[in-house]
Amino acid sequence: MTAPLSLDRLRSDVAEVLAEEPGSFADDDNLIDRGLDSIRLMSLATRWREAGFEAGYLDLAQDPTVAAWWNLLEGKR
Amino acid sequence: MSANIESTDVVVVGGGPGGSTTATLLAKRGHRVVLLEKETFPRYQIGESLLPSTVHGIGRLLGVTEELEAASFMVKRGGSFRWGTNPVPWNFLFAVAPELSGPTSYAYQVERMKFDDILLRNAAKHGVDVRENVPVAEVIGDDERVRGVRLADGSEIHATFVVDASGNRSRIHQGVRGERIYSDFFKNIALFGYFEGGKRLPAPDSGNILCAAFDEGWMWYIPLSDTLTSVGAVISREHAAKLQGDQEQSLLGFVDRCEIVRGFLENATRVTEGTYGEIRTRKDYSYTNSTFHRPGMVLVGDAACFIDPVFSTGVHLATYAGLLAARSINTVLAGELAEDRVFEEFEGRYRREYRVFYEFLSAFYDMQSNEESYFWKARKVTNLAATDLEAFVSLVGGVHSGEQALVQDFRESSGALADAVERTGSMQTESGERMHHLFGTPVVREVMQEMNNIQVRGVQGIAAHELPLLENGLVPAADGLSWTEASR
Repeated sequence: MTAPLSLDRLRSDVAEVLAEEPGSFADDDNLIDRGLDSIRLMSLATRWREAGFEAGYLDLAQDPTVAAWWNLLEGKR
Repeated sequence: MSANIESTDVVVVGGGPGGSTTATLLAKRGHRVVLLEKETFPRYQIGESLLPSTVHGIGRLLGVTEELEAASFMVKRGGSFRWGTNPVPWNFLFAVAPELSGPTSYAYQVERMKFDDILLRNAAKHGVDVRENVPVAEVIGDDERVRGVRLADGSEIHATFVVDASGNRSRIHQGVRGERIYSDFFKNIALFGYFEGGKRLPAPDSGNILCAAFDEGWMWYIPLSDTLTSVGAVISREHAAKLQGDQEQSLLGFVDRCEIVRGFLENATRVTEGTYGEIRTRKDYSYTNSTFHRPGMVLVGDAACFIDPVFSTGVHLATYAGLLAARSINTVLAGELAEDRVFEEFEGRYRREYRVFYEFLSAFYDMQSNEESYFWKARKVTNLAATDLEAFVSLVGGVHSGEQALVQDFRESSGALADAVERTGSMQTESGERMHHLFGTPVVREVMQEMNNIQVRGVQGIAAHELPLLENGLVPAADGLSWTEASR
């Protein structure tokens, strides 16, 4: 079982797909600049959909920062 | 009749992309597969424009990525369309935005002689017993299941499964005991040939397919190399009679009446010798079989269903079905799940994919308003009576709504798509490089969903994680080559 969706979970999932240490990027860093590509973005969307975050790939692509995604998630709760 | 009888695990009929994909993915799990192809490869085929999920998803599962790269096929970043109200072409790009244009945001335009040959040789490399120049006469079976095939020479090959991937002219598809049902709506025919020296769209769109609507239908313009272009007219079947005459004059006449293509071919010459020297016609009627499976037999690719060529879906639907069929057969041969369970998944996913493209197609044709034109008037969803759509789409499956709701769905798709195209704007502009509007429409989202899953699967391998696509549906196993129940 995976952890419920928290801000920390978003950060650690992003760190994992980017193969970086958590904390090595800020919540408002544009993750595309950190090497996030469409495939990794799609896999994040799938992961989070499973945990109940109904955001699609496209929603995430609009504003690719942890902060924006957290706002999106909070807005959907 | 002391026929020569041999037996194997699976017989695949047809060596095109659907057959090669199925056969290779079965052989990868160690099964004995005999693939029977009636022609000798390489051979000509139409359907030259690919989608990214075939290249980056299926291609990687098959292990042909490097070979495809080495073949130097024309790189396609999307489609350009002179279609709808905008007089300037607009782009449907595979990348949602330029900054997200990653390594999987392109596909290829391929000479099918080369592409299909790569896939077939690759199947043999993976242990598939590939036999060319071997026509199949009929399917052998009883009421319980299909049990093999009889070849034209009278010999028999018995197998646990027969896969019919023998295309739109399949002689054995009725072995699943279904019938081919045509859409009244998209009974088009295509007339096509090849040109040297045609112009190209400006970079970076020079490898794109161009689809251009005109009064009598639409034309494709596919750059196969820097100088060779595949050019075809998709027109109403009522023109079929006229095409009995001088096909060259007919094709050149369509080119002449389709402004953008006429301009592109201004200084080009038609190829008149060799494989590409012939002008060909093909019935491009959209159809689907009423069933894709019966115990012991499954249909893949054009043997199962076909959709209008405007979205370059032919090879996608065939290789996607090949993947689904291989997963299903691998699961049954391993004794992991029952045949009816896995083929319910096969048919559910395959029909879903067909349906979402059919809905997209209907919305797409609806955009091209031309009240003077018989072709366009007859293909506008919003002009249609509910019953015209209902009959075919309810058969396609996945739509459980009543007639009115169904037509309403299609009308909404059509409106949303036209709106998104307008907001996206012309190609090679700031907004025209961003696909958020287009990808944000429900119908396009649905179209992209499974193609995205396949790409992620191809790129991430066992790290890919998929949710069930269908209610109570199955999910792919870790290696992507069989089905398993979704864990809860």
